[in-house]
Amino acid sequence: MTTVPRLIQGRPLAVRTDGLIKQFRDKVALSGFSLTVPEGAFFVLVGPNGSGKTTAFRVMLGLCQQDAGSITVFGRDPDEGAAVRANIGFVPERHTDLFEWMTVRQMLDHHAAYHPAWDDPYAEQLIAEFALRMNTKIQKLSKGEARRVQLVMALAHRPALLLLDEPTDGLDPLARDRMFGLLADHIADNPTTVIVATHLVYEMDRLADHLGVMRDGRVIAQVTRDDLARHLRRYTVEVPDGWRSTATLGSSLLRRNDSQREFQWTVWGDERAVLRKLSMSGAFVRDIAPLTFQDAALALLSMYE
Amino acid sequence: MIISITQNDDRPIYVQIMDEIRRAIVIGTLRADEPLPSVRQLSADLRVNPNTVQQAYRELERDGVVYVRRGQGTFVAEALSSQPDRDKLASSVAERALRDAYRSGLTVTELIDAIHSMSNLQHDGKRATG
Repeated sequence: MTTVPRLIQGRPLAVRTDGLIKQFRDKVALSGFSLTVPEGAFFVLVGPNGSGKTTAFRVMLGLCQQDAGSITVFGRDPDEGAAVRANIGFVPERHTDLFEWMTVRQMLDHHAAYHPAWDDPYAEQLIAEFALRMNTKIQKLSKGEARRVQLVMALAHRPALLLLDEPTDGLDPLARDRMFGLLADHIADNPTTVIVATHLVYEMDRLADHLGVMRDGRVIAQVTRDDLARHLRRYTVEVPDGWRSTATLGSSLLRRNDSQREFQWTVWGDERAVLRKLSMSGAFVRDIAPLTFQDAALALLSMYE
Repeated sequence: MIISITQNDDRPIYVQIMDEIRRAIVIGTLRADEPLPSVRQLSADLRVNPNTVQQAYRELERDGVVYVRRGQGTFVAEALSSQPDRDKLASSVAERALRDAYRSGLTVTELIDAIHSMSNLQHDGKRATG
């Protein structure tokens, strides 16, 4: 049986990391982190709290140096600093990374000065869409307003790489919806690779074309949406009394939910092969269904547990 | 034309977009030689990845439902006969109904009988109120 891929192969990569290791005094943040993000991908990265997503972003930005392993961002080492960073848009997890004493206008001007590609008319358009109050001090902003300022800072220089760490955190439903519209519009108009770290996987359903799953500082699965659509299914199975067998599905069985005579198994593999194995074991397959993006992420997160 | 897609659907999003455009052509809200929205417009409206919209348009072009005029966009093809499109739409609705029936342990006959009696009921209802 096939297993879930750990790497994406055969395509030019925007971000490639190989066996990154990063240890802080009391904690291992990355423990062999190998990420493969193809150019132009909208890549959703999921993982439990503390699985290393934020550290991984900081290494990509050159804000934090790995202890071991290698990384390239569009073929360059983030250690080169500002030159690599200028080509990245970043929305950090926290809202407090802004200069509190500045007005929104000052904050954006300050940020623009570091980004030669800053596009003023586009920035003004984003400011209007997000209804930013330009003369308000950063410290007076709500969480959602600060988030919107950060989004303008991330987008207005049309970076080749966008790193979004829980981007919708703090946004009200209307601002979320507007953000997704702006993001779709932005990637239609600018060649952009996007990596989003989020717990709210369902929010990214319509935009994501890749999924990466992290656990304990490493990537345990990296798949395209096509892969998910082709290989991941939930089988609802009826079995005779006293039936017992996992039909030798091995590690391709990601999740199971068993009751008396009806089982639900989430399996990675060729549908016909799985069906054959289940039927041969005496089970009756009542239904085969693809998984939603959210359920797929959950299945991959809980595999081998 | 109104395109609506939903997350709680077994069909991939590009297939939903294709079905919605077929639906718009069948019911006449989209007519021959009229333009589809641009990829950028539709992806921003639906908050969908532009590649997904592109894929839907490409497949529709392959099926002969739309054609592309370079630099101008995508247009609805001259429908030689709308019957094949109606048939295609009908089979995709039937497929979903069948799948649901099968999940619930119903036979095809039970499903068809239920559809007949439901549609008779609605018919009678309309006559009564109309």
